[in-house]
Amino acid sequence: MTPYLRALRLINFRNYADDTVLLKPGLNIVVGENAQGKTNLLEAIAFAVTGSSPRTPSDPEVVRWGADFARTEARIAVGGSGQERMVAVGYAPGQKKRLTVDGAPGPALSAYAAGGAGVRAVNFFPDDIRIVKGAPSDRREYLDDLLSILRPAYARAALDYAKAVQQRNQLLRRIRDGFSSERTLATWDRKVVDLGEQILRGRDEAMPVLDEHFASSLRALYGPEKAAVHYSHSAAPEDYAEALREAHDADIERGTTSVGPHRDDFEVSLGGVDLTTFGSQGQQRMATLALKFAARDHVRGVTGEDPILLFDDVMSELDGRRREFLAGYFLESTQAVISTTNLEYFDEEILRRAQVVRISGGAIMETTTDGVMERVAERHGSFRTA
Amino acid sequence: MATYARPVERLITELSKLPSIGPRSAQRIAFHIVRGKPDDAYGLAEALKEVKERIKPCRRCFNLTEAEECDICRDTRRDDAVICAVEDPYDIGPIERTGEYRGLYHVLGGALSPLDGIEPEDLRIAELVERIREEGTKEIVVATNPNTTGEATALFIAQEVADLPVRVTALASGLPVGGDLEYADEVTLGRAFAGRREL
Repeated sequence: MTPYLRALRLINFRNYADDTVLLKPGLNIVVGENAQGKTNLLEAIAFAVTGSSPRTPSDPEVVRWGADFARTEARIAVGGSGQERMVAVGYAPGQKKRLTVDGAPGPALSAYAAGGAGVRAVNFFPDDIRIVKGAPSDRREYLDDLLSILRPAYARAALDYAKAVQQRNQLLRRIRDGFSSERTLATWDRKVVDLGEQILRGRDEAMPVLDEHFASSLRALYGPEKAAVHYSHSAAPEDYAEALREAHDADIERGTTSVGPHRDDFEVSLGGVDLTTFGSQGQQRMATLALKFAARDHVRGVTGEDPILLFDDVMSELDGRRREFLAGYFLESTQAVISTTNLEYFDEEILRRAQVVRISGGAIMETTTDGVMERVAERHGSFRTA
Repeated sequence: MATYARPVERLITELSKLPSIGPRSAQRIAFHIVRGKPDDAYGLAEALKEVKERIKPCRRCFNLTEAEECDICRDTRRDDAVICAVEDPYDIGPIERTGEYRGLYHVLGGALSPLDGIEPEDLRIAELVERIREEGTKEIVVATNPNTTGEATALFIAQEVADLPVRVTALASGLPVGGDLEYADEVTLGRAFAGRREL
């Protein structure tokens, strides 16, 4: 059975001082007014199972105002017979992040995010529309994030590649300004190409699969027009080293490396039209969702396990037919946690099958059997015993 | 205004210049010295003085030595057809302790890093090439650190000696021996997979 998140405790995470949320397999709906902490809750789930926030590269941001650390504890159901794994992420500004799995020190962050925690996550935040609408770097980040949660070695190569490019750029500027000779440029070229090729191999392998998943997802979400994602190289892979060499003079002048995977892009198109430039807001939003579903399908295809889906405010701005489609999609997922301000987006049948989590007054509530709302965290030991 | 008497403050300041010693540790060590026996403190001072006065780089391999040449270079039983290039003198210890290597060394003095302004001229690469020429070295084992700058340095050395009749090798990267596979980190294990061998 595919792993899922059973309970999460948030300590000093964003607006939460100490709260607990209990989750079920299938669809979980987080409902509450604006600015109560719905998005923060989804972020905390991602933080708990990947070790970092999908919303910000700056960890201090997740620490509650006035607190000196943030911590998440998650109970993940793995395997059939009630087997469980308990993972915790602790972060205090200025210190190394502490990951633990069942009380013992966890693996490196890259390995933790790539299944080391027990489950992977694919998330959607409204701002993600920039993957389709925004700059090439947004699209590369989507690819790199996806490939990194599948292979820690890819994450490492991407990190090392960025370092090597940084070194090469500095060398280019030193050459331009007369502080260095060109003697070592070929060396850094080789190092950059070496690492860059590892990244290209990963991306080239994934793209055709993503293209297929993307096309079928967007067909279901949007309509029959032919959708596609198509990778465009800043230099043809077979001429990569040659292209880098030919760019020497121009690169020295500009002080940056002009070819390689850090300059590549992919085109998102519908009916042959490039959505980045010509797509409507609605099309771009649908295409973003389809890319996220494609990521889910790819993770499942490679690992045989569904990632947890974390979708923030996904139902607003959609028409009834698409809401229904999405609700069905999430219900059939191993586990999806989605947030909304409005439960009326869901029909009764769906609400009956879903777990509804209420956020009120900045706290996570549940309705007890006698119909009274109370904080989940107030119930003694709820995190451990649920 | 200083919290402690000036000599104590000075000791704390000097100690906190050492690597991986923060202000707190510096203070703790300083007070340990202040409280301790005079002979211990003089011993430490003497050791510091001695190391600065008597230790210099070996003229052949740049390992640390008291003499003109280090013990390893002077040891006639060692195989002088092989040179292992390392970044720092303290990289020699771990290799020596393996007991597997009987050749000579060459201490480069760091790794290429444009970001830190480190150029080939700042390292002893020219000296290495010169040694290979003079000593008729048959093999260079490049044992720089397995990170971006170390690996770039290795590539650069290979490129610099490409015209010489010398074999250039690098250390393999792989699994720690004696441990369980499950404890190996993913990147190391991944590299070990990429470099797997026929049985």
